[in-house]
Amino acid sequence: MFKLITVALTSLLLSVSCTKKQKTEYGLDHKETLKINITTEPPTLDWSKSTDTTSALIQDNIMEGLVDYNFDDPDLSLKPSLAKEWSSTNKEQTWTFTLRKGVKWTDGVELTPQHVVDGWERLLSPATASEYAYFLYGIKNASKYNKGEIKDFKEVGVKINDKGQIVVELEGPQSYFPYLLTHHCTYPVRKDIIAKHGDRWTNPANIVTLGAYNLKTWEHDKAIVLERNENYYGEKAKTKNILAYMIKEASTAITLFETGKLDVQGNLPSAELKALKKKPEFKQNGILLLYYYGMNTTKPPLNNVNFRKAISHAINRDEITTMLDGGQKPMTSWVPPGMFGFEPEKGTKFNPSKAKEFLAKAGYNEENKPPKIELAYNTNEDHKRIAENVQAQLKKHLGVTVEIKNEEWKSYLGKLKSNTPHIYRMGWVADFPDPDNFLNLMTSYSDNNHTNWGNPQFDTLIKKAVSVDKKEERRELYSKAQKILTEQDVPVIPIYSGVSHLLINKRVQNYPMNVMGRRKFKEVVLK
Amino acid sequence: MTTIAPTLQADTAVASKSLWQDSMSRLKKNKAAMISLYFIIFLCFVSLFAKYIAPYSFETQNMDAILQGPSSKYWLGTDSLGRDLLSRLIYGARMSMAVAIFTAIISLVIGSVFGAISGWFGGWVDRIMMRIVDMLFSIPSLVLLILVKVIFDSLNLFENPELKALTSTLMALSLTSWVTLARVVRGQVLQAKEMLYVEAARSIGAGSAYTLWKHVIPNIIGPIVVLLTLQIPGNILFESFLAFLGLGLQPPFSSWGVLANEGWSLMRSYPHLIIWPSVAMALTLYAFSYLGDGLRDALDPKMRGRM
Amino acid sequence: MIEKIRAYSFPALLVWLLFLVINSFFGFSMHPLVIKGTMVLLVVAFGYYVVNMKLFSYVTHRIIDAFLAFFAIATMTFLLLRLLPGGPFDQEKTLPPEIMANIAKKYNLDAPIYQQYFDYISGLFTLDLGESYKYIGRPITEMLIEVLPASVELGVFSLLLAFILGIPAGVLSAANHNKFLDRLLMFGSISGVALPSFVVAPFLILIFAFKLEWLPAALWDGPSYYILPVLALGSRPAATIARLTRASVLEVIASDYIRTAKAKGLSRLKVLFKHVLKNSLLPVLTISGPLVAGLLSGSFIVELIFAIPGMAKHFVQSVNNRDYPLIMGVTLLYSGLLILSNLIVDLLYSYFDPRIKLS
Repeated sequence: MFKLITVALTSLLLSVSCTKKQKTEYGLDHKETLKINITTEPPTLDWSKSTDTTSALIQDNIMEGLVDYNFDDPDLSLKPSLAKEWSSTNKEQTWTFTLRKGVKWTDGVELTPQHVVDGWERLLSPATASEYAYFLYGIKNASKYNKGEIKDFKEVGVKINDKGQIVVELEGPQSYFPYLLTHHCTYPVRKDIIAKHGDRWTNPANIVTLGAYNLKTWEHDKAIVLERNENYYGEKAKTKNILAYMIKEASTAITLFETGKLDVQGNLPSAELKALKKKPEFKQNGILLLYYYGMNTTKPPLNNVNFRKAISHAINRDEITTMLDGGQKPMTSWVPPGMFGFEPEKGTKFNPSKAKEFLAKAGYNEENKPPKIELAYNTNEDHKRIAENVQAQLKKHLGVTVEIKNEEWKSYLGKLKSNTPHIYRMGWVADFPDPDNFLNLMTSYSDNNHTNWGNPQFDTLIKKAVSVDKKEERRELYSKAQKILTEQDVPVIPIYSGVSHLLINKRVQNYPMNVMGRRKFKEVVLK
Repeated sequence: MTTIAPTLQADTAVASKSLWQDSMSRLKKNKAAMISLYFIIFLCFVSLFAKYIAPYSFETQNMDAILQGPSSKYWLGTDSLGRDLLSRLIYGARMSMAVAIFTAIISLVIGSVFGAISGWFGGWVDRIMMRIVDMLFSIPSLVLLILVKVIFDSLNLFENPELKALTSTLMALSLTSWVTLARVVRGQVLQAKEMLYVEAARSIGAGSAYTLWKHVIPNIIGPIVVLLTLQIPGNILFESFLAFLGLGLQPPFSSWGVLANEGWSLMRSYPHLIIWPSVAMALTLYAFSYLGDGLRDALDPKMRGRM
Repeated sequence: MIEKIRAYSFPALLVWLLFLVINSFFGFSMHPLVIKGTMVLLVVAFGYYVVNMKLFSYVTHRIIDAFLAFFAIATMTFLLLRLLPGGPFDQEKTLPPEIMANIAKKYNLDAPIYQQYFDYISGLFTLDLGESYKYIGRPITEMLIEVLPASVELGVFSLLLAFILGIPAGVLSAANHNKFLDRLLMFGSISGVALPSFVVAPFLILIFAFKLEWLPAALWDGPSYYILPVLALGSRPAATIARLTRASVLEVIASDYIRTAKAKGLSRLKVLFKHVLKNSLLPVLTISGPLVAGLLSGSFIVELIFAIPGMAKHFVQSVNNRDYPLIMGVTLLYSGLLILSNLIVDLLYSYFDPRIKLS
């Protein structure tokens, strides 16, 4: 028995060493396949329901929206996609979209305006329970339909007119409405396909799409293969296949990149950037992301505005970005660079002597020492480094003792809802490149404002700015709002604006890099 | 297994000595165990006097010296916030040892009481208590760990920042590690119950608690001490696993688990970050394992004379 | 004759299983009939053994016990989950309350807790474990079946490695008690548990995949991909088994019947392997129950670092996502595995040591 095992083991080891299996991954040709890492299994490819970036990446390549970003324009204007043209009347309260002719789904059916309306109806239907339904709450009666107060979708402000155009009537003027239609949740859907297959309609065998790529294979927790759509209405994709692995651990993925198994790897550990930066394959670009600390304005001593100003003045953002060493821009204002409304001169900047002045104004000095405050973040090496640095800075510049608390993600979110700590970490990634998306966050009625701060003046400014159609006028209103937020009341401490870092193999050209972090691969060329 | 002669000799010669002295003299002959013992004493010394030994504080950041390799200024290099790795390793020893030893003690107390009651009373008490233990094995430990952490974080039991950072980790570890101990103690009690001296004590009318305390516990202490020395390195490893899951110590305090967790993913670019914590951890584990083996050989009567 | 068949049937079955495992290691796909045949063979052997040894009532008792334990675990986990802070649909961008209400309605989370519990338990009877909250629309049973192959492969190979390395090491070590080889092997076995696996696994990748480029760094695509993860997962139990085997072999060597065997003039090796090993493997068998369940459900760290599509990640990620149905699913699967492997181990125990009476 024992001998048998030994023999089996030796033969096993021997044969392993000589029979290295030459399996070409999924039978794809290396020269025509872009190998990327999407880190995790996409929770769903149903574009009315997904909320995460992994799913969005796949969906953006197999589907398209009515309009798309023009990333060549620094102000991020829109360009036609499924819609040929669009216009607004009635002071941006009514929008009309004309669809492109001759766009075909992968099963040969031609795209009709009804497919677009079906997509919106599905998104807003309470039965779908889509998490992004609120994207279209600007449409007349849409939120009532989503709440179930209105049963008939005909009462919602979406119509198809005799010319076959889609006419959208909004609750009020909304200057950024077309931008929402770049998002995957507003893409058209095929109701007949969904009715036929139920929840399984996103399986490769069932799914019907119209983007530059088709979904060929989906092996859960392993890989997704996309193949060029030969019947795509526009210019066909330049690279035939996309092989997307799901490798969560960054250090493993970097090893795979370096051994040629991956062509692109994003998600680089920030502590290693200093070393990775030296590689010729290293690339970086700014994205519309704001990293900030919020303060609970009802918890003493942070209920005192002078104390909050002291804290904000005592944090040297430059030191943090130097430490991170990844090209992040230090921020004191609220709207990040890369879109209009960015005003770097605004905010409470690093100034230790001013910080001490404000601390004294708040009533604290050598005898009356400031109390200990709590700083919370969700577990992550980067958040931890920043928190530890801020802790050291506040001790050094202000003499304030900070106690750091890290929490596992969901516990952290639970805490923000129920009992916000003194200082908490958060980030905001733009849903669409408009200052409203960032400033709306801090209104008193926003669900994402955990600071308990509210200023009616601020709220009015934000509401007004949305309905103004002149850009300069809007810019001024947002400028005023930012002043209230970051200089007058200071419930938040902006830290830096985000950068995405990538390793890209030299054979890959035209890899999409833009401020929205959107990855559409149809222009990618492999050498 | 040499010959039987020395065994006889040893048995007769030390008959007058107490069991404890006997064991100690045997332990002293075990070189590996003694070196380990000295190493552990050294480690405890370093942990207690970390403040005076460490060249820097564990939290002093130097932004001009981020992620540097070993140098004359920083003997083991610096971490991603420019903190001295040697100092963090020394303070880390303090936290890791505290976690490991206190956890072992807490789980010993819970485990012994639980196991002793279960083993002593037997019958349906035993059955119910052992089913509870079985269930604890199956319920996802992460759920328990998160719950314990949340509860103890919100309680704020201590003012001392070090203790504060420790409590939830300590409790989370204790909760999951007493189970094994309970099983062993139960088994030992079951055995001891059948022994003659226990029956004798009971026959003269001694109460349960008294008999347990006076006769059973002293006789099962040997295996428990051994198990304890083997549990301590296990706790050090488990603490590192907690750090990996993000349920570890509150920063900026360092433990070996925290250091290993900060270092492992940077192994390729900054090997110094992972090498030194690993060396410290591994040496400690060897020491406790050899000491544990030595103690078992010294205390276990069946192994007597076979050294 | 019957005796002979009985004596050889067990080793024969083991060899057959081993053959299947090695075949699957090299990715030879087996005819489904072979797999089914083996399953039938196993069930028949199990049934024959139970009936023949008059263990029928013992096995029924154990199965009833298992059901009760299963039920208790389901209940406890179900309740503990609701105590966890943070809900399944909390995310960075907070959802408006009306959307939360739609979601709660869809997943029946607005029903009273006893109603939810009752629905879940009644679902269990039809093997309906519900749908995942995170992976929208995917049934839990289907998800578990999908991750099972990689987990089983990794687990079985690791188990094999643990036994193949651990038992001989333990025996050799005991045979050379306190000599150089013993010390070396024991040093090695402590090394097997000296470092956390999140340090060992990337270290293996760094050496064998990055520097030497002998083996692939990660993924799960064939024999060469299996080696590093199996090494990372199997070395820990191998060390435990080696120490356990050594201790029990030492104990057996000291017992009377071995002295008799030696006195009869049997050769050293023959005594060691024929008499000592068989009797000293019982303690190893005892820990095999939890070991099998543990290895089959895998290790979160090993799966994460080697990017293996197995089920261990669900143990951690489902809790992090508060994906209640998935947490329940993996918990029940694990406890089922544990209960089953403990039962099999107990039966094997009585096979190896007829003195032990199961009742």
